[in-house]
Amino acid sequence: MKRYSDLEYLRLSKLQKFLYRLESFFCSIPVAVWHTIKKLGLAIWSFIKGIGLGIAEVVTTFKNGSKPTRLSYVIMGAGCFAHGQILRGILFLLFEIVFIFYMVTTGAYWLSMLPSLGKLGPTKDYNVILDVYTTHYHDNSFKILLYGVLTIFFIIAFIYTWWVNIRQSKTAEQILASGKKLKSGRDDLRSLVDDSFHKTLLALPMTGILVFTVMPIVFMMLVAFTNYDGAHNGYSNNLFHWVGLDNFNTMLSWTSNTSSGAQSYAATFGEVLTWTLIWAFFATFTNYFLGMMVAMAINKKGIRFKKGWRTILVMTIAIPQFISLLYVSKMFAKNGLINNFLIDMKWIDTALPFFEKASWARVTVILINIWIGIPYLMLTATGILMNIPQDLYESARIDGASGWQQYSKITLPYMLFVTGPYLLTQFTGNMNNFNVIFLLTGGAPNNPAASNSAGTVGYTDLLITWLYKITMGAESQYYLASVVGIMVFVVVALITLVAYSLLPSIKNEEDFQ
Amino acid sequence: MKKLISLVLALVMLAGVAAVGEGFAASYDITVWVAEEIKELTAQQIEAFNSSNQYGIKFNATIEAVSEAVAADNMVNDVEAGGDIFCFPQDQFARLVKAGALSKLGVAASEKVTAENAAGVVAAAKSGDSLYAYPLTADNGYFLFYDKSVIPEEDIDSLEALIADCEAAQKYFAFEMQTSSWYLASFFFGTGCVSEWTTDDAGTFISVRDTFNSPEGLIAVKGMEKLVKSPFHLSSSKADSFESNAAVVVTGIWDYELAKQILGDNLGVSDLPSFTVDGEEYHIGSFNGCKLMGVKPSNDAYRQAALHFLAQYLTGEECQMQRFNAKSWGPSNLVAQASEEVQANPGLAALLKQAPYSVPQGQIHGSWWGIAQVIADDVKLATDEAGLQAALDNYQAKIEELFTLDNTALLFVGAWNGWNNADTDKTYYLASKGDGTYALTFDVPESGYMGGRVVNPGSWDTDKGFAQVTEGADLIQDLGADNPDNNIVFAAPGNYTITWDGEAFSIVKN
Repeated sequence: MKRYSDLEYLRLSKLQKFLYRLESFFCSIPVAVWHTIKKLGLAIWSFIKGIGLGIAEVVTTFKNGSKPTRLSYVIMGAGCFAHGQILRGILFLLFEIVFIFYMVTTGAYWLSMLPSLGKLGPTKDYNVILDVYTTHYHDNSFKILLYGVLTIFFIIAFIYTWWVNIRQSKTAEQILASGKKLKSGRDDLRSLVDDSFHKTLLALPMTGILVFTVMPIVFMMLVAFTNYDGAHNGYSNNLFHWVGLDNFNTMLSWTSNTSSGAQSYAATFGEVLTWTLIWAFFATFTNYFLGMMVAMAINKKGIRFKKGWRTILVMTIAIPQFISLLYVSKMFAKNGLINNFLIDMKWIDTALPFFEKASWARVTVILINIWIGIPYLMLTATGILMNIPQDLYESARIDGASGWQQYSKITLPYMLFVTGPYLLTQFTGNMNNFNVIFLLTGGAPNNPAASNSAGTVGYTDLLITWLYKITMGAESQYYLASVVGIMVFVVVALITLVAYSLLPSIKNEEDFQ
Repeated sequence: MKKLISLVLALVMLAGVAAVGEGFAASYDITVWVAEEIKELTAQQIEAFNSSNQYGIKFNATIEAVSEAVAADNMVNDVEAGGDIFCFPQDQFARLVKAGALSKLGVAASEKVTAENAAGVVAAAKSGDSLYAYPLTADNGYFLFYDKSVIPEEDIDSLEALIADCEAAQKYFAFEMQTSSWYLASFFFGTGCVSEWTTDDAGTFISVRDTFNSPEGLIAVKGMEKLVKSPFHLSSSKADSFESNAAVVVTGIWDYELAKQILGDNLGVSDLPSFTVDGEEYHIGSFNGCKLMGVKPSNDAYRQAALHFLAQYLTGEECQMQRFNAKSWGPSNLVAQASEEVQANPGLAALLKQAPYSVPQGQIHGSWWGIAQVIADDVKLATDEAGLQAALDNYQAKIEELFTLDNTALLFVGAWNGWNNADTDKTYYLASKGDGTYALTFDVPESGYMGGRVVNPGSWDTDKGFAQVTEGADLIQDLGADNPDNNIVFAAPGNYTITWDGEAFSIVKN
């Protein structure tokens, strides 16, 4: 597109300005996408390069290193012992012993079973004397996958520690060669509460994130490459196995393969994804603008009972969504409060199809979501609005700016700048807004064309509620749910990364400071 | 042969139990999952078992309130962590067997359960020929609850009249169509459609006979159309709908107390009504299901046998009557069913009135419930007969995606495919030639018994075999009385073509 200079831009008519801005926004999307991909690629490349450098260092150190350093390639901590750093040496050695002990006792088993995910399923016996059937359990695919992943993490940790051990030995040599003293065990301990205090503080949270967030995510992602479902639960009936990319094929193929029982999910996926995006868009922006308006209305001079209005709105936050949403869904039901009231008042003859027709249901959930979402936004916006320097408005008024101009030139840019990242999290949060959809409609009304044996799909189903249905459905297709989970991640990650780089708060970080 | 085995086993058992009797005498810590409302009763019943059983078994039972549907889900999700004894609705049965969450019944227990319970209920606890669970109730059916102040007595036999009454009074007719296949199927059963599924011993579905997409099915959806297109139809099966403007609710015995509380003397119950299509009347059918009790598999034989004794006791006549008296749970035990108290219960009476039109639920593929569920929505959107037919076509397409649906397919089952009458690969299916004849060309491998016969997949009919061979009789053996199953037994291995013209076979060696 043609870029205008500031002067040329000012010469354009209003419509042309608007079109120009619109055009430049859409033109910036591909650029942002490209930048994101480039950044990702660079990150991966530097990671690979880092590993390469690490390996090179290991090799050169072995060539040039002293005897203790070479020994610490086999016996970890040997270098530390030789240089008098006993505490470090003990820790390295202890870690090696624990690692070898773990690998020999159980780790090797989990690792060796990981490629097959188990060889022998449960067997049944008949006890003639007691006239009873007994079941003997053997391999457990689920545990093999879980502990296999754990073992791999452990091995990575070991390799890293091993590398650190070599490096330390090498650095110690260099320090000694330069005539300085090495840190003693006492120094090391002291530094934990002094110059390395950040390590002490972060140790626990990092371990927590690794064990409770990263590991489960890796595990769940791996499930997408197996046939783990109700009929292959890995323990009490059949073992499950690796199936490669078959599940992604199933999810993304348009033609159904009847002979193997695989079906076309691409149509369903597309349909649910489209609605998910529409929902996320409306749920986010209706709440945003309406919440801001409510906040501005309450903030306006001359409005009385400000605290009273805010309290009324905040009541919806005070009541748990679980209760309020279930109640609202009952209110809007065909025989619910609202329909019965309207019929009693003779305003309508037959019930309004709030949750019965696709378009009605979609609009209804968005409207009800506004009712729940506005208070949050009102609270956030109130704080920010009060923060906008009043002299900006004052000078605008002196210059003769109308209310709309003040809003569009001062309030909105300021709000967008401050709440940009919040908007983004709201958008992704709404894409995964399980509560509102599940409690209000449960996905209803059914969409006959999109439903299949993985479960009934409704017009208001989001990817996340569909995922729930797949998991809890008759076939318990965990692998498919995992695929959907990965797809949701990809979609959300793409949108977030691109939108993030387009945000004014990121692009023009200095604007309002 | 089977009888003989069981006889031998029974003898071994008699000798065995005396010898190993002491082996049981121990205390077992167990977890039992039952519905909240019978939690205390079950505790008492287990106490009674502890003091009365002849083996000296003592159960130290932790009884947890887990509703039947939740219990099934929990067991499927994690068998290891599940209750040792748990209750579940029968529609979860095949899923549980497939998940390996049910321990098979011994020979003696199987015979006892089969003899003492209603046949339809026993079928519900069976996969293939094996019993995997104990029948707990036989009252999972639905019938008509109505408000006598809105619905005149003479209208309760006609769907059209009921709808008209509801519309006139601006009251709702609650019949769960959009969200439950269990209720939706009633219209199809009313016109004689079937959806019969067969499972093998391991809980895997091997065949289906489904006639929902048929002229009768079209009549059924025409009846359904009248209901779902009424602005006063409500897709619900909850008796509390009476509180929010409903005049008719189709639900089951479990809602009787609640409905009675709400409507008092105005509550009427009856069998489901009939609907009229093209001048013909069809009485709406129903599913007739039950609840079952299962035992979790384990590797300790004594403990396992003791658990089976307990489950057998808890589902016996005495305990079923106790549950009926306390909570009106309709018994599955034949003796209990015949008792006067049971016969006099008004809810069960209505269920009994509906019984002639009901279909035993048997085993149904778990995904069927989701697939059939959308018929009502499709019907509601349909604007003409073609639309209704499209609803059925959509249904059939979905079933076919799930399962090879072939009511007329012919399969040459025999030594060559390991007597596998499911044969999902279709290798030994007779292919239609388009002129009413079906043919299959295949290799007969060398083996001791080179025999087989043509069946519909999943079944073991004996009407298409040796006796129907008209051409090529010289290629097969005549075994006379040694061939009770009417098998075609080839004389020599080789490549053959077999053709079926609807009445007779011709066999040609290639």
